[in-house]
Amino acid sequence: MAKRRKSRNKGEAAKLEMTPMIDVVFQLLIFFIVTLKEVDILSHLDISRPAPDSKATPENQVDDLLTVQIGKQGWVLNGSPYMGEVGLSKLDKQLTRMASFSKNTSVIIKCTGDSPHSSLIRVLNILAREGMMNISVFSL
Amino acid sequence: MGKKKYNEGCELDMTPMIDVVFQMIIFFIVTIKMDENVNEDIKLELAKEGPLYKDPDPTTIVVEVDRRGWISINNLALSEQQLGNIIGGRYRRLGKTFPIMIRADKNAQHKDVRKVMDICTAQGLWRIDFAAIKEPVGR
Repeated sequence: MAKRRKSRNKGEAAKLEMTPMIDVVFQLLIFFIVTLKEVDILSHLDISRPAPDSKATPENQVDDLLTVQIGKQGWVLNGSPYMGEVGLSKLDKQLTRMASFSKNTSVIIKCTGDSPHSSLIRVLNILAREGMMNISVFSL
Repeated sequence: MGKKKYNEGCELDMTPMIDVVFQMIIFFIVTIKMDENVNEDIKLELAKEGPLYKDPDPTTIVVEVDRRGWISINNLALSEQQLGNIIGGRYRRLGKTFPIMIRADKNAQHKDVRKVMDICTAQGLWRIDFAAIKEPVGR
């Protein structure tokens, strides 16, 4: 009894033990840091898609119509081919020049089945920068 | 005895550290997204010029196409038939068109992306979005 009174008087036993709490809190912190995954900021590229049964790829082409064909190797813009990465920068310049005439020009993109999806996205990226809105994607 | 007293005065004050650690935990709890079900295997192409994909329409269906040409929604693999049923069913329920977002791997072939687009147009949806990365974070 005397002993207890003695320790109470000291007032040290009432101190809250922090160590286990800090341990748990650090465990939680490490869990959240490890499971945190940063998400990429996405962009969206809108196109319109003509109905699959209407095989009417406009042959009666209007003059201000841009046609980009996408194949496995590269791009073909209104009949002239652009290959590889160098071709892409040339295509970029050419599209920029053509887009400067009118933003309302209809763009028709024709993709072959074996063309990579990245080629399509790269062209759409250029067209999005130039503010072209009328984009249709056909499949060959 | 006097020496011991002197040492006790040096005790580390834990309070600010605990405050900071709690703030960090609360931050992580708030920002964590447990329900995100996307196919991690899909590597999107970079398109920095595309418009920001923000606050999408809640009726949007995000269709994933991986580099092997497999179609999935929320990381759940689907056949073309099933995809057609899902899109057709939603179209009938909503009674109007809704956005379609295609998350296709950059190495996916167009013929596989085309399958998805053809299913959508067959159901009367002709407006299609392609997802791309605007700003890569980390890595």
